[in-house]
Amino acid sequence: MNVPIRLKVNGKECDLKIEPQATLLEVLREQLKIKSVHQGCQEGECGVCTVLLNGKPVYSCLILAIQADGTEVTTVEGLLKDGQLHPLMESFVENHAFQCGYCTPGFVIKAYYLLNKSDDLTEEAIRRGLEGNLCRCTGYVNIVKAIKAAAEKKRSGNWW
Amino acid sequence: MKNFVGSRALPDLIYHCPKDVENALALLKNIKGECKIIAGCTDFIPAIRRGAWRFGDGLNVIDIRGVDTLQEITKDADNIRIGAATRLSDIVDSAIIRKYAPILSDAVNEMASLQVRNIGTIGGNLCTASPAADTAPPLLVLDAAVNVKGVDRDEVVSLYDFFKGPGKTILGEKDMLTEIFVPVMKLDERVQFIKLGRRVAATLSVISVAVWAKMKDNIFEGIRLAFGAAAPTPMRAPKAEAYLAGKEASVEVIDEGAKIAADEINPISDVRASEGYRRDMAYVLTGKAIAACVK
Amino acid sequence: MKDRETRLVSGKGQFVEDMELNGMAHLAFVGSPYAHAKIVRIDAGKALSMPGVITVITGKEILEHTNPLPVQADLKIPGGLWRLAKVYALATDRARWFGEPVAAVIAEDERTATKAADLVEVEYEVLPYVRDVKEAMKPDAPLLYEEWGDNKQVHLKFDFGDVNAAFKEADQAIKLIYSEGRASGFPLEGRAFLAQWEKNTEFLTVWGTFQTPFMARHNIAETLGLPEVKVKTIAADIGGAFGNKIHTYKENVVALASMLTGRPVKYIESQREWFVTGPHQRDVSWEGEIAFKKDGEVLGLKATVIHDLGVESTNKGIAATSIFPACCAVANAYHWKGMHIEGYGIVTNKSFYCAYRGYGKDKGIKFIESALDQVAKKLNMKPEEIRFKNFIQPDEFPYKQINNYIYDSGDYPAVLTKVVEMADLKGWREKQKELRVQGRYIGIGMAFTVEPAGVAIPNCQMGGITQARVKMLYDGTFEVHSDWTEIGQGSEKSHAIIVSDIIGCNIADIYVAPVTSDWIGQGPLSSRGAVYCASAVAKAAKILREKLLRYASIYFEEAPEDIDTGDGKIFSRNDPEKSLTFKEMAHKVHVFPGPRGMGEEILKAHDHLPDVTTSWYSNITAETGSTYTTFCASADIEVVEVDLDTGITKILEHTHVHDAGKAISKQIVDGQIHGGIVQGIGEALTEELIYDENGVLLNCSHADYLMPTALDAPDIKIGHLETPSPFTETGSKGMGEAPIIGGKAVVLSAIEDALSPFNVRVNESPVTREKLRKWILEAQKGIGGNAV
Repeated sequence: MNVPIRLKVNGKECDLKIEPQATLLEVLREQLKIKSVHQGCQEGECGVCTVLLNGKPVYSCLILAIQADGTEVTTVEGLLKDGQLHPLMESFVENHAFQCGYCTPGFVIKAYYLLNKSDDLTEEAIRRGLEGNLCRCTGYVNIVKAIKAAAEKKRSGNWW
Repeated sequence: MKNFVGSRALPDLIYHCPKDVENALALLKNIKGECKIIAGCTDFIPAIRRGAWRFGDGLNVIDIRGVDTLQEITKDADNIRIGAATRLSDIVDSAIIRKYAPILSDAVNEMASLQVRNIGTIGGNLCTASPAADTAPPLLVLDAAVNVKGVDRDEVVSLYDFFKGPGKTILGEKDMLTEIFVPVMKLDERVQFIKLGRRVAATLSVISVAVWAKMKDNIFEGIRLAFGAAAPTPMRAPKAEAYLAGKEASVEVIDEGAKIAADEINPISDVRASEGYRRDMAYVLTGKAIAACVK
Repeated sequence: MKDRETRLVSGKGQFVEDMELNGMAHLAFVGSPYAHAKIVRIDAGKALSMPGVITVITGKEILEHTNPLPVQADLKIPGGLWRLAKVYALATDRARWFGEPVAAVIAEDERTATKAADLVEVEYEVLPYVRDVKEAMKPDAPLLYEEWGDNKQVHLKFDFGDVNAAFKEADQAIKLIYSEGRASGFPLEGRAFLAQWEKNTEFLTVWGTFQTPFMARHNIAETLGLPEVKVKTIAADIGGAFGNKIHTYKENVVALASMLTGRPVKYIESQREWFVTGPHQRDVSWEGEIAFKKDGEVLGLKATVIHDLGVESTNKGIAATSIFPACCAVANAYHWKGMHIEGYGIVTNKSFYCAYRGYGKDKGIKFIESALDQVAKKLNMKPEEIRFKNFIQPDEFPYKQINNYIYDSGDYPAVLTKVVEMADLKGWREKQKELRVQGRYIGIGMAFTVEPAGVAIPNCQMGGITQARVKMLYDGTFEVHSDWTEIGQGSEKSHAIIVSDIIGCNIADIYVAPVTSDWIGQGPLSSRGAVYCASAVAKAAKILREKLLRYASIYFEEAPEDIDTGDGKIFSRNDPEKSLTFKEMAHKVHVFPGPRGMGEEILKAHDHLPDVTTSWYSNITAETGSTYTTFCASADIEVVEVDLDTGITKILEHTHVHDAGKAISKQIVDGQIHGGIVQGIGEALTEELIYDENGVLLNCSHADYLMPTALDAPDIKIGHLETPSPFTETGSKGMGEAPIIGGKAVVLSAIEDALSPFNVRVNESPVTREKLRKWILEAQKGIGGNAV
């Protein structure tokens, strides 16, 4: 029972045929081959499937793709500019904010949202903003550091 | 006994997205076979994955997030009206709720995670009816009511009468929750919500306490206590409330009231906490919450 | 070359879940709902008739097509007990733990396989089961392995020095008990495999979350009855491991599925299965007695540690081997005169034990650190005083510790002094006094960890094998291979740093290949990357550099001693005109003029290829039998505040000073420290696997197995010291496990310090809010109110 939906993913309009029971996560990975969004727990606990839906962070594993019809989805692939790393991603690399990399796209998307929302993030606000994304490798210290450093880059106009 | 299977697949779904309440009700009435109302799916999907909810293939899902009127927050002189499909994050951000029922926005802000709050809905949280539902204690102390609509039904029911047991409400198979009505808070009313989990963030409640107090000359003119994760359903504490009502809010009175409440609740022991700890914390947190209101 | 970091942050990871092969099928496991049951009958009829299902594998196929899993460690110690059982890749006649896989469904897609898994009908005869160690040891306990006669898998005894003399000389002795709840690492990616059986060449390739591809390949080959040369394992990008992925075992079924169906088969383990089907760790209880003099000198230790190993595992001895370091690592950083330590491994109907950051070393160290705090209290000494009193001193290295480990180097007093300073211990103690008056309870905890790293165990697959290859290609770039699998711990970058530092080429010109079974080695475990793997890579790089100098000496007409490298060039020290980039050098060496231009000597010695494969073994282990080669040291001080009313522990500050010898990369080392400490905090406060009265695991997901979030984790201050190891090629020491050990120990120490007015002994973990509140209430009843 293929249903047509339209998603705007990373700025590109995509016409897709999906099953009603397919989650947004499955459709992004399997049909659109957007592999930055990882499978993880599939129950909305770990955060590795985090994407922006109409600009807000959500767990793509908890959304039926059919419910996302007509929405805009952003993943880390969409933050690259002609293959160039987004300053936020550069900050993650420079500050060793990831080790195995499995949770990283989810954190980058979350951080992107937090930094766009506020110019004045305290350490507490950053950490609270990161609830919903688990990391087992880094202990979060460098992730927080990278987000602070990215805020600096944004302040100096190095952002998109 | 069921096989242990890691993460179960969702059943084949037949998806409906009505644009108004009438159509939603018509679907409920006319669909032959199993149907389920969905909105945020933040309970629906995990429950299926872990095998707690099981449905056969061909489940009809009625997505009420297509109904605009069910996502509005409006206010008249006496009540705030919240559509059942309102996202939790919209409740946190709502100027109306922050001003006229801040205990609700505060409580919702501590639920799950931002990603869940951006998808999950207040109606979903109430209808899933977990004993630990975090929207319930604040709504109970505000004396909220819900609009239940069905095939031959259209009534406003006090939230006090809404929950029937763990995972059970007064909603029948062909009913739906459409709105939540929350009395607007008055200037002499005070509220406090305290949630205790097992870690700082993204945690299910071990116990939650909501207090609403109307004070005059340090006397409890009105007092309501509600608890989550303290009984088969979210509950008020009529005995404790009766004790406190009309009394002066002294340290001893508050302490005694908290003791009665801790005795009145009916918690279980499970993987999250023991009955003893829940009662103990009900006592501790009720005292703190009342004291915060009285201050 | 685009580095790994750029790739991963852009979402270009190649985790197993991202891999696709033509005709790929998917596998889902069917697990037992019972803790202990006979498998009477499996009927896969309904599952097989579901459209899209290709086949179902049960114990029948396993017995027909596979061998019992091969032994990985067989450590028969005289006077001890060591048992292994026959274990297959899937349960055959009996399920011994909740969730144990009893069948596997292979279907066209993951969804179909999962749905069909529910249709496999398994008839069980439920058996009485063993809930914990206490029940397991009862005389009439149900047996997991009848042939054993009881449920003891391992019993080891160690006598070091003269324990009787030590206790005789002592002024006092105190008894100790200490226990840890069941916990494990559970990185966010579970186990995942993609197996491809090529039927014409009869070759099996398996991509997977192989922390140890070479060991895995041998074990798969033996299990499936294939010649080892016809099996290759390849490590994909791995989403974290922490030791949990050194032992896998499910891949045997995935590989068999590919052989039987002729299709590539993929298995992505769900998070739920990760929790339920192990590997589990910790879950020990200690009972002991420590003897000391009244001036604080510790002399002797008698202790017994009992491990709840769950079932005899598919890792065939690796789990049980962890009892060794659990017993021996108690010596930690201190002088001792005598010890008698006994270690037990008991089987129960829970998921199996294996390795998790710390493995066994962590247990001994946590126990002794807690013990020292008790001795300090008894003698009214400060925790730092007791440690300073008993430290091995800087001038004693290399030090033969009482447990026969040879400690390479270190300056323990300097490490502890530095952390005391950095953490402002004095200031916090003053604040503690002030706050107590206000009815607030903060505590300052301390822990010192000496982490043995770089394991080489006899009669064990982890015997000390490692291999590295460094070669210069035609285009002047360098290719590096080893058994140092990248699991997030920075091995890829570390390879590049080592090679670049030694050879003098640019990091951007170094390609570190993904690790496969082509290279002999036991992989990164026991923090051996910085010891064995790094040494092998460094050695290969050094030998290659020597070769390049010899070639350059021909082209420059200079002596090799007068030639140097650096900044991507090789050049003569005497004449700056004589300089080649590595690219130019490579052209000369390979083609223009190539080998003919190298001269007779080099050609007759067959030394004309810029390609070195080598191995490395620890000299000190060879000479003395010391199981480990390096011993990094670290100290943690943590400040917490305990809320008496709720039992909530809040971490206010964490300071960590470490000495891991010469750091290959400070940034990588610091990252390991952050991650390990936060894992330790999780173990200390919230993480515990809980089985209910039916033997069913209650917390099978992140909702109930609670790992620290960004809000639970503190900021961490780090101080560095370096005493290089004389025993490794790079002077570096393995350090990946020290942070989780000290990180957990210090939390318990801090909570105990916070509650010292109440005399609460914190010797159990996790210290959940409920547990802590219970202890506080009990103590208050006993004392009758707040004591300051």
